[in-house]
Amino acid sequence: MNRREAVKTTTAFLGGVLLTSNGLLVACARDTSNASGKILTVDDQSLIEEIADTLLPTTPASPGAKAAGAGAAINLLLTDCYEPDVQERVVNGLTEFRRTCDKRTGSSFASLPKNDREELLREIDLQAQKAGDAHYFGLVRELALRAYFSSEIGKTKALRFVLVPGKWVGCVPLSPGQPAWG
Amino acid sequence: MISPTRCSLTVPTRIFSLAANGSSRDPNPPSEKAFVTADVTSFDAIVIGSGISGGWAAKELCDKGLKTLVLERGRDVAHIKDYPTANLNPWELPHRGAMSRQQLKENPLISKAAGYGEDTAHFFIKDQDHPYVQEKPFDWIRGYQVGGKSLTWGRACQRWSKYEFTAPERQGYGMNWPIGYDDVAPWYSHVEKFIGVCGNRDGLAAMPDGEYLPPFDFNCVEKHLSEKVRAHYGNRYIVQGRWAHLSQPKEIHLQQGRGTCQARNLCMRGCPYGGYFSSNASTLPWAAKTGNLTIRPDSVVHSIIYDEAKGKATGVRVIDAHTHAVTEYHSRTIFVNASALNTNLILLNSTSRRFPNGLGNDTGLLGRYVCHHNYRAAANGKIAGFEDQYFYGRNPTECILANFRNLGKQDTDFVGGYTTFTGAYRERPEPADRVGGAYKDALAQPGPWGIYMYMQGETIPKQTNHVRLHSTMKDQWGIPLLVTSVHYDDNDEKMIRDWLAEAKQMLEVAGCHAVETRDNHQAPGLDIHEMGGARMGSDPKTSMLNEWNQLHACKNVFVTDGACMTSTGNQSPSILYMALTARAVNHAADEMAKQNL
Repeated sequence: MNRREAVKTTTAFLGGVLLTSNGLLVACARDTSNASGKILTVDDQSLIEEIADTLLPTTPASPGAKAAGAGAAINLLLTDCYEPDVQERVVNGLTEFRRTCDKRTGSSFASLPKNDREELLREIDLQAQKAGDAHYFGLVRELALRAYFSSEIGKTKALRFVLVPGKWVGCVPLSPGQPAWG
Repeated sequence: MISPTRCSLTVPTRIFSLAANGSSRDPNPPSEKAFVTADVTSFDAIVIGSGISGGWAAKELCDKGLKTLVLERGRDVAHIKDYPTANLNPWELPHRGAMSRQQLKENPLISKAAGYGEDTAHFFIKDQDHPYVQEKPFDWIRGYQVGGKSLTWGRACQRWSKYEFTAPERQGYGMNWPIGYDDVAPWYSHVEKFIGVCGNRDGLAAMPDGEYLPPFDFNCVEKHLSEKVRAHYGNRYIVQGRWAHLSQPKEIHLQQGRGTCQARNLCMRGCPYGGYFSSNASTLPWAAKTGNLTIRPDSVVHSIIYDEAKGKATGVRVIDAHTHAVTEYHSRTIFVNASALNTNLILLNSTSRRFPNGLGNDTGLLGRYVCHHNYRAAANGKIAGFEDQYFYGRNPTECILANFRNLGKQDTDFVGGYTTFTGAYRERPEPADRVGGAYKDALAQPGPWGIYMYMQGETIPKQTNHVRLHSTMKDQWGIPLLVTSVHYDDNDEKMIRDWLAEAKQMLEVAGCHAVETRDNHQAPGLDIHEMGGARMGSDPKTSMLNEWNQLHACKNVFVTDGACMTSTGNQSPSILYMALTARAVNHAADEMAKQNL
């Protein structure tokens, strides 16, 4: 592990702890302030990161979306690179998501056990596939995948990225389980 | 690493001292006043533009011992030092490579360019700085800096076939070139050896062989595609393209300070290894090493100065990009390599009593017969199998299907030919279960193979397709804006239809399913292969330039960038510009030695 990765892992770990305690606070008072001038509030950023991490969790193969800092990356990309109407669909979508989650489970998404979180996402995903592009969940998935697979963890621990391959070899056998090039 | 002689317009004293270093003409320390003396403003040759052809003009002129001034309208970009993103990992870019909404909104035009992104945007202009008038839609893609678009070019280096030089007249859609393949062949070799081109010797009439370094391998699906297409059609050859990459550098490349291509495929950021050819990595530092080169960035050329008494051009009028101060530089010969359309603009703006309609423009043809390459059609398909085969590294090259249309004789309902670029890649998988650990791990595996193809079609040079100066609107330097009036014609539409049908069939022949074809309807210009306006030809009544790229009517002015093109052919044009430039410089130097110029 190089120095940069070590720092990032520590940050991600501390972030996890903070978010957990934050999650507890949220039960009484939600933090609706915007995360340093970004489009998503602190709450929305944690929620979208929870969703991203349920879609793309840590496995024996590689750390998941939360470890990759997907929440902040999503917020940055959404704020700087997406049109206002798309931003609005995501923000409204997260509100709708909270409502749906509360109605189905009676609790917040973050506090649900893993299986329940996955089940809820599968259900919403089915609805989204039926509804087509207008549904917010397609955007949430796009943002999650984009943030994760462009992160250092996504690129190097899930996929494999080599900045300087050194050579091109056109045809090599693929070993079973070998990740794709990032 | 070799570093070229550079100077900034804002530090005029440095220009003087560098020129003095090179020539030892004036040992005295310069003053501000000295800046405008004849010593610093007089050269054997002036080259307007430092891109792919300007860099070559500079190298060849300097190699011949001629004191050469290169004028570049954009900022300085020194090899390696000024490649700010070259060594960044994707996640180290602020938006992971994407442009911000704001930047896209401010640059709706330039942001369409192939390869434009967060890691390369600094090598493209900003829309607002350089307006022009589109009488018909035309995406004019520009990179104003030392090295020009040679930093961001596609690097494809096929030679023209002998047919391409003669097809326009033979098939009745244009005028013959004043030169043929045999005139250019030795200069292709000259350029190939120096810049380093990798490729196979395939023995194809449609794409002649040159001096090649070892090619990049096919991947297993490209090999399959090539074999299937050849077996089915007999005369359709999918081969390794020819690319300006040092797959295995030779001594001449090491002398340039360049090394082996590292298969990063991050070329357009500028290559810290000098793995691909650019003016910055190769010709300009080489020219600087001779001591004969002076480069002036931030120097917007207003016009070429014509001296009626002498009957020739005597210099160039330059506006400082920042201070707007005007300076005149003088030389015996001038090479115009400002990029195809800017070369037209400069010539059109170079008016005098003798040439009221632009330098050398006795016929009114200057700015006419502007043409481009047709990149509108593309296709792709999925192919089953080969799952246990993969590749290593990022291939910076592509395969080429050599032209098979109207080669030697017309065999379709349209004229001209097309090159097809193609390659095989692995898609991202699409797992059925879209949530959870298994989903994430499945997404990280290589997906099924796919094959893409896209066309590069010849277009017909037409007098009606033209550029001209706007009668009233001017840019921030007081230079008239360029008006573009270029569009597709029925021949282009027919060629697109043919290509789409053929590409679909070839993908199916290769065993692809889910084949999709599309016409992107992009405007001319986005191909970044704009050509013509000052075409070569034997007859001064129908052309601007002679067989040596000299203006018929003003022989000490040479045009050797894309503006000189008589027709477009179907090959990627840059290496032809380089070869024609070297050939023209050789002629210019001979003529100067004989006191004819």
